[in-house]
Amino acid sequence: MIALVRAELLKIRTTRSWWGYLTAVVVLVGIATAGNIGSTSGDGRSTVSFAVSLVDGAGIAALLAIVLGITVVTTEFRHGTVTPAFLAEPRRERVLAAKALATTLVALFLDVVALLVVVVLGGILLAVLGAENHLLAADSLQRAALTLLVAVLWGLLGVSIGSLVHGQVAAIVGTLIWIFLGETLLWGLFALLHVNGLRAYLPFQALDAADGTGGGDLLSTPAGIAVSLGWIAGLGALGLLRTRRRDIS
Amino acid sequence: MIEVQELSKRYGKTQAVARLSFTVEPGTITGFLGPNGAGKSTTLRSVLGLVHPDSGGATVLGVPYARLDRPLHRVGAVLEASEVHPGRSGRNHLRVQAAAAGIPASRADEVLALVELTAAGRKRVKGYSLGMRQRLGLATALLGDPEVLVLDEPANGLDPAGIRWLRDLLRALAAEGRTILVSSHVLAEVAQTVDRVVIVHRGELIRQASVAEVLAGARGLTRVRTPDAERLRTVLAAAGATAEPGGDALLVDLPPERVGELAAANGVILHELGVEQATLEEVFLELTGGETTQ
Repeated sequence: MIALVRAELLKIRTTRSWWGYLTAVVVLVGIATAGNIGSTSGDGRSTVSFAVSLVDGAGIAALLAIVLGITVVTTEFRHGTVTPAFLAEPRRERVLAAKALATTLVALFLDVVALLVVVVLGGILLAVLGAENHLLAADSLQRAALTLLVAVLWGLLGVSIGSLVHGQVAAIVGTLIWIFLGETLLWGLFALLHVNGLRAYLPFQALDAADGTGGGDLLSTPAGIAVSLGWIAGLGALGLLRTRRRDIS
Repeated sequence: MIEVQELSKRYGKTQAVARLSFTVEPGTITGFLGPNGAGKSTTLRSVLGLVHPDSGGATVLGVPYARLDRPLHRVGAVLEASEVHPGRSGRNHLRVQAAAAGIPASRADEVLALVELTAAGRKRVKGYSLGMRQRLGLATALLGDPEVLVLDEPANGLDPAGIRWLRDLLRALAAEGRTILVSSHVLAEVAQTVDRVVIVHRGELIRQASVAEVLAGARGLTRVRTPDAERLRTVLAAAGATAEPGGDALLVDLPPERVGELAAANGVILHELGVEQATLEEVFLELTGGETTQ
């Protein structure tokens, strides 16, 4: 299994898109941090809650992690490299497990980079503006730990989705549409059916609840994590069946 | 070594492979021949556990491929030459595959050198010619130094010099005691290399034999040269044989002994009498109904 995970990490590192992920996380988190500081006035910058909101900016890593998770599976089908992958390890469930582990490690890495951008860039800007720096306060660190957990959950959900929908473009575009539009449309349907309580159990509502940044009608953080894991496991089981049955021709 | 038993696979309305059975003997090079669309790739992919047959199955080294321990150390395969990430270098492609099989990364450079691709090793596969991709595929198959090689149309995209290089490489690998199953739709590519042939057409087995047996069983013609062709044709026609002109001689569908007897009995002078051996190409065309691309 260690050999397979090493192979997956090498696959991720040996294409140009790896630099794309790194650049994206640095630039996007940098913009979010600078923008947040720039748009907040004087005293507001010196509070602990503001520091926590800066740390939340690292959550962008989660969006990159889900794209990574989907791509790690679908790129193999797109380029036919699934053939050598399954020749090296015919037990396909082990290949998918290695992909999930590699995605977990890379999601953690991307989130650590995001947090470093927040602490370094945020620290510099706060110092320049003469504001108090609470980025390493207990509340900030707790939130930072949650962003690490959530980045991993998003990455794993990506692997589950990619195992189920092997078309790369369909899987990524479909997921983004679902995140930004699909769940909102379902809210309307749930309202019509008088089952608004189901809203909180939708996958990305559960993920929002998991990092504790969501609104009032979301699940608690532990419940959000549990429901997220349920979606990952459920979609992952379907994806495993689909991938095992598929003829690689 | 490789055993295919009653293998059947249907894609939609197309019966790709129909109750196909054959064996590949240890230490031989077996040509797996048939026109495009004969079911060769589906069969090879079933042997390698990539395609799930509808019925029947295949074993490699006595077990289904999926049950092999450390499969890349036992079996090397080259399927489509395009199954490489275009943005990855050839060397990194090999290092990924080596890592997955627990093979040291240094082996990637060894096999690159073996297929004479060292110079292009650090370039992106995107810029490789089809021939270079075939070489990279062969290098991938050889990573684990396997005792069995399964090659699907490895000569595709190679120029004549490349085909010759491939032939020599396969010969050298077989001489080391490896078992090789190599498919092709162009018989000439492998005719001089293989010991045995398995010929398929429309998913069914047409013939499984050694090259010598196939040639021996083929309908050879008798070549006869005479100054009195007109008379000989009349004599042969009376005996129920057909004689067609072939260059300055006649080609007759009777054994040479019989032609000689008939000529002597009728006082026809012969200048030459011999056997015109059918080539493997002709046998192949005959068996598959002429459906081949070359």
